[in-house]
Order: sequence, then structure tokens, then C-alpha cells
Amino acid sequence: MADIGRVRIRIPSSIKQGDVVKVRVLVIHPMEIVQRRDGKPVDKNYQFINRVVVTYAGKEIAQFETTQSVSENPFFSFAFKAMEPGLLTVTFLDTHGGKYEGTADIKFS
Amino acid sequence: MRQLPHRATFALLVLAFIAAGCAQSETKGVSGLPPTPWVSRAVPDAKGDIKILPDGKRQAVRYRGWTTEDFGKYRTYAYDDSRPAIAPGRMPMPAVTGDPKKGRSLFLARSLGPCTGCHLVQGDDVWPAGNVGPDLSTFGDRRLPDEYVFNLIYDPRHIFPNTTMPPWGTGGVLKSDEIVHIVAFLKTQKGPLQLEKNRERNPETRPKPVGFGDNLDPTNNPAVIRAESAEALWVRKGPAGKSCAECHPGGPLQSMKGVATRYPKYVGHYTRVMSIEDFLTVHSPETTGTPMLAQSADNLDMAVLVKMASNGMPVAVNLSSPEHRAALERGMASFNERVGQRNHACADCHVSGKGADRFLGGRLLANVQAGLTRHFPTWRTSQAEVWDMRKRMQWCMTPLGMNMLPADAVEYAELELYLTSFDRGKPMSVPGIRH
Amino acid sequence: MDRLTDNSGVTRRALLRALGLLGLAGLGGPWPGTSGMAHAQAQGPGSLTNLGPEEPVEATMKRLFGSRPLKDGSSAIKLELPLIAENGAVVPMSVEVNAPMTPQSYVKTIYIISDKNRRPLNAKFTLSPTMGQAFVGTNLRLGETTDVRAIAELSDGTLLITKREVKVTVGGCGG
Repeated sequence: MADIGRVRIRIPSSIKQGDVVKVRVLVIHPMEIVQRRDGKPVDKNYQFINRVVVTYAGKEIAQFETTQSVSENPFFSFAFKAMEPGLLTVTFLDTHGGKYEGTADIKFS
Repeated sequence: MRQLPHRATFALLVLAFIAAGCAQSETKGVSGLPPTPWVSRAVPDAKGDIKILPDGKRQAVRYRGWTTEDFGKYRTYAYDDSRPAIAPGRMPMPAVTGDPKKGRSLFLARSLGPCTGCHLVQGDDVWPAGNVGPDLSTFGDRRLPDEYVFNLIYDPRHIFPNTTMPPWGTGGVLKSDEIVHIVAFLKTQKGPLQLEKNRERNPETRPKPVGFGDNLDPTNNPAVIRAESAEALWVRKGPAGKSCAECHPGGPLQSMKGVATRYPKYVGHYTRVMSIEDFLTVHSPETTGTPMLAQSADNLDMAVLVKMASNGMPVAVNLSSPEHRAALERGMASFNERVGQRNHACADCHVSGKGADRFLGGRLLANVQAGLTRHFPTWRTSQAEVWDMRKRMQWCMTPLGMNMLPADAVEYAELELYLTSFDRGKPMSVPGIRH
Repeated sequence: MDRLTDNSGVTRRALLRALGLLGLAGLGGPWPGTSGMAHAQAQGPGSLTNLGPEEPVEATMKRLFGSRPLKDGSSAIKLELPLIAENGAVVPMSVEVNAPMTPQSYVKTIYIISDKNRRPLNAKFTLSPTMGQAFVGTNLRLGETTDVRAIAELSDGTLLITKREVKVTVGGCGG
């Protein structure tokens, strides 16, 4: 999968201080599921995103523990309260040591 | 009554049309088809090849995960396939005692029909039944003779000549004694019916699917992100030392604006109708030297990118030139032609009044007359893949019990032209997103 | 109109890890040319031992919450799921908990559990008061028709639960 790790974040184009902002984020990732051969699970190090870390203005504000039950090319949405301008970062970590990041610059208009 | 095959009917119509307009000599000899068979430029999985194994058995080469069963016995859309549809067959009802329990398992078996794909029957475990065919929950109350019902399932065409229902016996999907068990099961389907506990169980009251939201939002549709791979491809120099950008300056979204609205179209240089995907298979190697085999990632991503340049613009395929008219007639004939082991035509499932807007099992059948091609290629969530119209057609062939043609086959292009005619005037919106 | 940003980077660490994969798995891994070697268990966080057991949902619930009471959260939790999923691969889901998000009282964690999945715990969302609203969404993979439970854990330890059934249609013509 050549585009693995590509991240897209969507936030409203106009944010006022104090707004509760809804964020949408998607990352290209196979989220490998357990293969079965003759009914028995195949043992290997499956590649899937198992942790998502959200930081805002330098502080970690949320963390998701995710499993293979999250769809391929995982999508997440969440909310945060925009109190100060700063960077919103969503970092995806997978079981193969992969680290994929997307950022959005939070500015007030 | 022996029905005239649709192809012959349309051929006669076309001949009559040409005869009537014989004064216009420009139509002489013009068929809109290449003079020699088209050589496929598709990836190996997409060519519809048949592999002959050392023991002589035939195996169909299809996409990874698809069946390798060879349906060579049954006719396809290929223009040089002049075999007739399976002739209506009959078999005496075997003297076997029908077992309703066996019959119920067969009725629900996904490896066979399943019959529940089209027919609802009693039972909380019946999920998901469709309503392309009548509800059989009280079929037993009609007290039809066993032999009548047996013949109906074996080959319904004796009773309903133009039916959508496959000839399960004649086509070899069900064995005769299996049909006897199903007959016994249907006899148990008697009223009064229990009150429906679950609105979703009955396809008549089941809510329609809501779709997957904004197809152009990259945080919703991975295919939009995939199209960006093609932007890099656009500026990359191919083996011939050139890139697309050199002949098409201004970037793909600007230089290709409006182009896709006119496809599929008859391309005189190749004497055939082509979609964007077909055209890329010849245009790219001839200019930049980059191969863009049909069904390759490059081809699909580039087709999405080129079509995105026309998003919002109305589909404007040409249907008036003689070549386009002839191609349209052939495409329409294919659409209505009964093919494969299950003897289905596209029309059986995808036209209002037949299968369209009804459930086939758990899936709602789309109505082509509503215009569907303007969302293709589409992201398929169930496959985590981009599918163009050809893969969609090739897929349909398979459960129908028919071998697929190469993805870039002329027959598919003309069928696609026919389907695109229903999108005329409607705004393009590529890539789509669906299950 | 939304703003869209695009930042992706496979970090150096990931690249190096990929290249050095052989080195990591070397210990205890099968060596070429040695037959009769016992099957080495796969290493790494995604390997079967680290995935946790396939278990019935009751076992998952017991493991996560022990004997803690689960209060009816059907009025406080809005769990959005399709009634019927056209395919089990992508089932959109969102959870919104009607509860304050202040340092004094906030929704600390949201658990998503699908009864019929082999490993019922699908995701665990850990939040902070900065979120402003206890709202999360994702796409789930469901193996078959199942109940999906959303459990919200408040900062004072209260557990609220709600659930909905999703009917899953399998693929293919007629299925």
C-alpha cells in the first residue's frame, strides 16, 4: 500500500475562541485483520493502528486505543474546545512501529 | 412459444433503421467497431483468460479472491458469441420423498440461490431476504400440485416465458431431488402469519440504505486521496522522456476540464468506443511511454483524476453520430440480453418495474435509468478498493454464471455508453463512495 | 466550508524499523536451513499473544469492569449506528455523551464493544476536559449482526451503558 500513512484532517474554516470544534481525520492504513487457515488463526505481527494521540497547543488531550475492529483506512471524529491558537496534532501509531501524523493550525477569525 | 432472442430483434431494428435512411450513404459500412478483434491491454487478472490445467480442466483467471470456476458453457456478451440462451428444459419429477427440513436449508443456502435472495419465507432467522420475486410465506395455502411447482423451479420459462427467475434445473444449479425437497418445504409455508417483530426482516418494510455520505470529502472517501497519487504520475516523465503535463499544461484539473463529460465516446483513430480508462491504455504508452493497463492502479487513479476535473459539469455523451447510434443499439441489446448460467439480463435487476429499487437479499438494486455512471470510478467500502464501471460489470458476470470479458472489451464500452446515456445532463461527481 | 490539511510522514523511525525487521525478529525466529525447528511465536504488538484472547463478550465485560454497576445510559448517551449495515467492513458509528466536560466532572473514557466480534472490545477513547464535548466517531468492522455497546466512564467512576443492534448484510448477490 503505497499511500500508507497519508493523513487528512478537516476542521471548520472559521473558528472563534471558545468554540467546541468538531474534527474529522482519516489515515490510509491496511488495518490488517487476523487471517485464518483451516479455521486456525495465522500467527504473525499484524499491522494495524493501535494508538491514536491527539495533542493541542502542546498538550495531550486525548488518546485512543484501537484494534483490528476499526475499519481499514481508519476514520475518527472528535471534538475539542478551541481556547487558544495553536497546533492540533493527530498521531497514529501502528504495530510495526509506524508513526503517521497530521496537523491543523488552529487560528481564530 | 419460442422467443426471438433480443439480439436478433435489435439487429432487425438496426437493419430497418439503416434501410429506412439508406439515402444517407455515409452510414454505408460504418459499424463503429474495430475491423480486427481488439487486443486487450489489461492486467492479467482482468483479461478474462481461461487457464488449461495439465489434467485438461479449465480454470478462469479472475481477480484475487474471486471464484476460478469456468462458465464457458454459457453464452456471454461477446459479439462473436452467437450461442443461444439455454433452451427451456424439462425433467420428470423423481420419485423421492421430499424432506421439508432439507428443503429449507437449500432454500436459504448462500452457495446456491439463495432463493431468499428474491423470496421471503417464514422464520426469524431469514435474513436478509429480498423482494425481487413474490413473498412465498403463504405459498403452501395455494395447494398447487407438486409436479407443477417442481417444473416451475426446474425451469420457470414453460410457465412464465419472460421471467427473471433462473432456470435452476436446466442451468444445473439445483439437482432434481434437491428441487423435490424445496417443493416439500414450500408446502409448509402456510398462514396465518405471525406478527412481524422486526421491520427490517421483511424487504417490503425494510428501510432503504442511507449511503456513505459526502463522496468528495477526503476524510470520508479514501479514493479522493488516491487521486492525488495520479497528480504525481501526471508530471512524471515516462520511458519516452515525456510526461502528461508537457502536452497538457496547466495541471490536470484545469487542462482536463470537461473532457470526461464526453466519454465513453467513439474514437475514430481506434475505430471503437472508449471510456477514459480504455483510452488511457493506448494513449499513455503512445505518448509518454508509461503503460496504463486496464485495472492497474495507475489507470484507475488517473481515470479518477481526469474525471474529477469535470466534477459538477453535466454528462454530455454523443449519441447522434452514426457510429454512436450503432454502438448505443449494441449496448442496449447487451443490456437486455439473457446470458450466463442463471439466464439473467442486466435489465432483470436494474430497471424499474423489474428488480430496480427492490432488495436482492440485503442489497438494494440500483435503477440505471436514474443515472449511475457519473459516480464511477467509485470507492467500494466492502472491498476497500476503487472500482470502475468495468470491474463492476465483470463482477456481475460472476454470480450470473458467465465468464468475464477483458476489462477493456468493446462490448463493455458500448454497454457503458448505453448506461451513460441515462446520466446525460446530470452533474459528474467522481469518485463515488458506496458499499 | 471546511479547511482541509494534509500532513503525512512516515517517520525515519518507521523506515529504519522496516529495514531492520530481520534483526528484530532474529531472536528465536526460524533460521533458514534448519528444519524441525519448533514454530516460533510471532513477535510484536500485533502478534496473536499480544492481541489478547478471542473471548465471549461476558468475559470482556468482566475483565474491563469487574462487578462495577453499569447504569442505564440510554438517555445520556446518543449512540448512532445504521440499523442495517450494507457490509460489515465499514460501519459508521458515533457516540455523544450528554455530560459536562469540566475539570470537576467529565467523561473520562468511552468504550465501544461489539458482542459478536471475536475480540469484543473495538476501541477505547480516553478524553480530557479540554475536549469540551464527549463526542467520538469511527468506522467499525463487524463480523455479523450484533449488538454494539457504548460505555461511558465518568471521572467519578460512574459507568453508563447503552446499546443498539446492527444488522449486517454479507456480500454477493442475494446475501
